[in-house]
Amino acid sequence: MSTSSYKKGDPYSHAGAADKMAIFQECLQQFNATPVNARKCRQLLARLLRLIYTGEVFPSQESTTLFFSISKLFQHKDASLRQLVYLAIKELSSTSQDILMVTSSIMKDIQSGDLIYKPNAIRTLSKVLDPTTVSASERLFKNAIVDKNPIVSSAALTSSYNLLPIAKDVVKRFNNETLETIQSFKQFPPDQFQLHEYYGGATTSLPTTSYMYQYHALSLLYELRNHDKMSLMKLITSLSDGSSLRNSLAVIQLIRFINKVLLDDDSLIQHLLPILINFLKHKSDSVELEACKTIISLQHLISKADFANVVNTLQKLLSVPRTATRFAAIRLINKISVKHPKEIITVNQELENLINDSNRSISTLAITTLLRTIGAGTVESDSTVEVGSESVDRLINKMTSLMDDITEDFKIVIIEAIENLALKFQSKHKKLVSFLTDLLKDEGSLELKSSIVDTLFDLIKFLKDKDGKQAILMSLCEFIEDCEYTELSVRILHLLGDEGPNASNPSYYIRHIYNRLVLDNSIIRSSAVIALSKFAVICGGKVSQNIQILLSRCLNDVDDEVRDRAALSLKFIANNEKNLIVNESKYDLAVLENKLIHYLNNESNFADQFDINEIPAISNEELTSLEYENKLNRLDKNDEMEVEPTSTEGAKDDSNADQSNDLLKQQEFEQEISQVAEFKDYGKLTKSSIQPIYLTEKENEFVVTCHKHFFLETSKVVLQYNITNTVNHLIAQDVSVIAQSDNPAYVEEFILSVDELRPNETGTIYVSFTSPSLAEDELVSVFGNTLSYTNREIIDDEGNIDESDEGWTDEYQIGDLEILPGDFIQPLYNSNFDSVFDQLPLEDSTVVHLKGIKTLENAITKLKDDLNMLPLDGTDYVPSDSNSHILKLFGRDVWGGKVGILVRLALTGGKLVAKLQVKTETEHFSNTIVDGVGV
Amino acid sequence: MGQTFSFANIFGKVWGTQKEIRILILGLDGAGKTTILYRLQMGEVVTTKPTIGFNVETLKYKNLTLNIWDLGGQTSIRPYWRCYYNNTAAVIFVVDSTDKDRIDIASKELHLMLKEEELLDSALLVFANKQDQPGAMTAAEVSQALNLTELKDRSWSIVASSALKGEGLTEGLDWLMDVIKEEQL
Repeated sequence: MSTSSYKKGDPYSHAGAADKMAIFQECLQQFNATPVNARKCRQLLARLLRLIYTGEVFPSQESTTLFFSISKLFQHKDASLRQLVYLAIKELSSTSQDILMVTSSIMKDIQSGDLIYKPNAIRTLSKVLDPTTVSASERLFKNAIVDKNPIVSSAALTSSYNLLPIAKDVVKRFNNETLETIQSFKQFPPDQFQLHEYYGGATTSLPTTSYMYQYHALSLLYELRNHDKMSLMKLITSLSDGSSLRNSLAVIQLIRFINKVLLDDDSLIQHLLPILINFLKHKSDSVELEACKTIISLQHLISKADFANVVNTLQKLLSVPRTATRFAAIRLINKISVKHPKEIITVNQELENLINDSNRSISTLAITTLLRTIGAGTVESDSTVEVGSESVDRLINKMTSLMDDITEDFKIVIIEAIENLALKFQSKHKKLVSFLTDLLKDEGSLELKSSIVDTLFDLIKFLKDKDGKQAILMSLCEFIEDCEYTELSVRILHLLGDEGPNASNPSYYIRHIYNRLVLDNSIIRSSAVIALSKFAVICGGKVSQNIQILLSRCLNDVDDEVRDRAALSLKFIANNEKNLIVNESKYDLAVLENKLIHYLNNESNFADQFDINEIPAISNEELTSLEYENKLNRLDKNDEMEVEPTSTEGAKDDSNADQSNDLLKQQEFEQEISQVAEFKDYGKLTKSSIQPIYLTEKENEFVVTCHKHFFLETSKVVLQYNITNTVNHLIAQDVSVIAQSDNPAYVEEFILSVDELRPNETGTIYVSFTSPSLAEDELVSVFGNTLSYTNREIIDDEGNIDESDEGWTDEYQIGDLEILPGDFIQPLYNSNFDSVFDQLPLEDSTVVHLKGIKTLENAITKLKDDLNMLPLDGTDYVPSDSNSHILKLFGRDVWGGKVGILVRLALTGGKLVAKLQVKTETEHFSNTIVDGVGV
Repeated sequence: MGQTFSFANIFGKVWGTQKEIRILILGLDGAGKTTILYRLQMGEVVTTKPTIGFNVETLKYKNLTLNIWDLGGQTSIRPYWRCYYNNTAAVIFVVDSTDKDRIDIASKELHLMLKEEELLDSALLVFANKQDQPGAMTAAEVSQALNLTELKDRSWSIVASSALKGEGLTEGLDWLMDVIKEEQL
C-alpha cells in the first residue's frame, strides 16, 4: 500500500521524522489538559503510534515523560481512547521507566472494564509487570484464561506466554486453566463487533468461533511441559484424535511438537507415526503439508508404504489452485528428490505439467526435481537407460524453451541442479554438458556465465570420464575465443594450464591459448603466458621448444606485466624449475592463518623464524577430496534449505560441511593438551575425535561429553571428558571418571580429575592410557565409564556451601565409549576407486550381521560414520526397491596408507548382512578394521 | 488557557458544573486511600489490594465534577506522586491514626509534598482515618504530630474519619468544596 492512497487531511496520514518533536510536544499538552478531549487525544495517539510503528524511537527520558502523560488519560472513560492508550503503553513499555505506575489501573480494567478493551488491557499488563508485581496478577490471569470469550482467553494465553521469561513459576500455575481452555468450546459473543461504534450492522455473517485459543493454549502448554517427556506425550496423545483440535494452526503446532519429541527420542515413532499419518488427510492444506514435511524429515524411521502415503498427499496438493500450496508441495517433493529420487517418480507426470506453471518458482523447482528423478531412473539397470535418456532429451528440450523466458536467478538455480545431477550420475553428463555449453554461448550476465563456468570447472575436476573432460575443455576454449568478460577468460586460461598438459591433445589448447596472446587485452595475455609455460614444463620435449619460441615473442609485448611474466617463465623453463611453475601441493590456509596470528601476537616469537613446515601441506589429491565433499554437501544443503536447524540431519551436514573447521578444532585440542604438564612427553597429537560424543542425555544433571586423543609416536590414548554441572543448587567436588577397558592391552596410567564444579560450569577430566601398538594387539575397545563426585548443597544466594556438612558421594554409570577403526582413518577422495583398490597390497575380508538396522540406507550411514570414510562413485545413494547394494569406501589411515573397502550389502528376511573386502597399505590395519566393524 | 473567558466557562463559574476539579488522595501505604475513594464513589466498602500505581475515578458531588486520583502509598511509588501534581485543586492526605510508629514519616512526606510549586494553591484536607480502631489518635493528636499549625498561606482542615463506617468523609469533602468554590472558581 502506498501512502498516496490516504486521503488528504486524514489525521492518521501526517507522519515522518520531522513531526516527531511536534507530536511529542502536542501529546504532552493535550494529555495533561483537563478536561480531556477524547477525540483529539485519540487522533494524537494514532499519530504517535504511527511514528513508533514506522521505526521512530524515543529516548528513555522522553519516552518516560510521554508515558506519564498518557497514564493521565485513564481518567477518561472513552473505550476507543482506552484502546489506543493500551497500544501506546505497550509500545513505550520497552523504552520507558517506571511503567509499573499503571499496574493498578490496568488490573481494574481487566476486572471490571469494558469488554472492548479488556484484551488490550491484558496484553499491556504482561508488558508492565515485573517479577515483583507478577504474583499480584495471578488470579486475574487465571480468570481471563478460562473466560468464555475466546478473544479474552487468547489475550490471556499469549500474555502468559510472554510472561514466561520473567515469571515461569507463576505461569506454571496456569497449567490447569490452560488445559481446560484447550478442551473447551468458546464462542464469540453475538454482539462482539457491534460493541464498537465504528462497526456497522453488516457483521451477521461472521463465524461464531475460530478456535484460535486452542493454538495459543497449546503453545503455552508446550512451554510448561517442555522438559517433561511423559506429560508431553500425554498431552499429544490426548489431543491427537481428529475432533479435539479444531484450529488448523493448533494442529500444525501439534505436529511440530511431535517432531521435536521425535528428534529427541526416535523410539517413540511407533506411538506417534499413526497420529502423523492421520493428519495426511485433513481438511486444511497447511496441516497436510506440515504432516508431510515432518514425516519426510523422519524418513529414516518409517516404512516404504507410509512414505508412499506422503507422496500421494503431495501429489494431490500439486493440483490445487492455490499457488502457495502448490509451491510448498513441490518444495517438499524437491527435498525428497535430493536423497530419494526414486520415491517420487510417480509424480513425474504432474511435475512435467508444472514446468509451464505461471509461477516461475514452481516451474524452476519442477525442473530441478525432474533432473534428479530422471537421473535416478537410469543408474540402476540397463533397460531403463533408454527410457531415461529419452526423458532427459525431452526435459532438456522443455528447459531450452523455458530458459528464454525465466530470469537469471532461476537459471542459476537450474544450473546448480544440473551440476548436481551430473556429479551424482556421471553417465548422464554428455547431454547436460552440451546443454550447459549451449547456454554459455547465449547472451548472459557475468553472474550467470560465472555460474556456468563454475559448474563446468567442477565437472572437469570430478568427472571420471576422460573424454567428457576433454569435451568440456574444448568447449571452454571455444568460449574464450569470443568472451566479453576478462575475469572469466583469466580463470579459464588458468584451468587450461592445469588440465591441458595432461590431456591427449595439448597442441589444441596451445593453439587457442596462443590466440589470446595475439588478440586479447594485457590481463588476459599475461595469464596466457603462465598457462603456456605450464605446458612447456609438463609436456617437455618438442612442445617445450615450441612454447619457448612463442614466449620469446612476448618479450616484445607492449605491456610490462606480460613481458615480465614471459621472461620469468622462459628462465624457469630453461633451468628446468618445474616446481616453481606448477604447484604440487598447497598449505592449509586456515591453519596457516591461525599459526601466523599466533606468531605475530607475541614479539618474543620474532627471535625465531616462522617455520612453514609446521603447516600441514595438502596434496592436490587431498584437496580434491575436500572440495568434492564440500561440493556435495553444499549442493545437498542448497536443496534442503528447509531442513530445520535443530534436526539431527542438519546438524550433521553442518558438522562435516567445512573440513578446515575440523582442522582448526584439532589445533585447538593440540594447544589445550600442550598446556597440561602431564602430557608434555607424549609427542605430537596424531588425531582427535572432533565431534563431542554424548555419554549422558543432554538434559542430565551432569552432562558428560567425550573426545578421544591419539598419540601414535608414544602409543598413548587420552580420553577427555567434559562435564557440565546443570544443577543450580549443587556444587560437585572431586569429580572423576573411571574408565574401564574391555581390552587388556589398554593400560590406565593416571586420571586428572576436577576439584570443584560450580553450577553451570564445565570441567575437563583427562584419563590417560597406554595404547597397544598396531602390530601386536587389537586396537578396538569399549570403555565402560563411571562418573563419581561429592555433592555439596548451596545454602545461600552467594553460592556458599555449608562447611560443616560433608555432603554425600554419588557414583553412577554413564554411556560407553568405543574406539573404532574409524578413529584411525580420515576420509579421502579418489576419482578412480576401482583401479586404486586393485593396487592396494594387503587384503582381508569378513562378513557381519548389522544388528538393529533395517534398511540399506541406515547401514550405509552407520558404516560410513563408524569407519569415517568417504563413499565414492555415488554409492551412498541406494535405489529404493533393491535388496542389495555395493558401497565403495575410501580413506587414509593415520599411518599414511590408503584404505579401501568394498562392501556388499544384502537384505534378507529383515536382516542386513554386509560382506567387507578390506584393502590397506599399512600392515595389520586390515585386521583391525575387520575386527572392529559391526561391534 | 485561552478559553478562560468563553461563555461556557462563565456559566461554569456561575453554576459550578462544567469544570472538573482535580483532587489527589495521598498518604502512606495502608492508610485507606483506595477505600475512601470507592466509598465516596460507590458508597460501599470494597476489598482492596495495595495499589501499584494509581486509581482514578470521576464522580459528581453537589453539582461539581470531581476527578479524584488515588496514588499508591508504597515507598517505591511515592517518588512518582509529583508526576500528577499539575493542575491539582486540592490534596486529601490520609493518615492511619493507629500507626503511631510511622506518623513521623507521614509528616515528612506531607511537608515535602506541600513545598512543591505546583501545589502552592491547592487546598489540603487531612483525614485522621481508622477512628473505628481501638487506640487511634484523635484528630488533634494527629494534627499536632503532623505540625499542621505551621502551615501558612494555605487553607487546610483535619477531619476524624472512618472509611469503613463512612464517618467524617462527607463532612471533610463538604469543607473542601466550600473552600474550592470560594478560592478557585
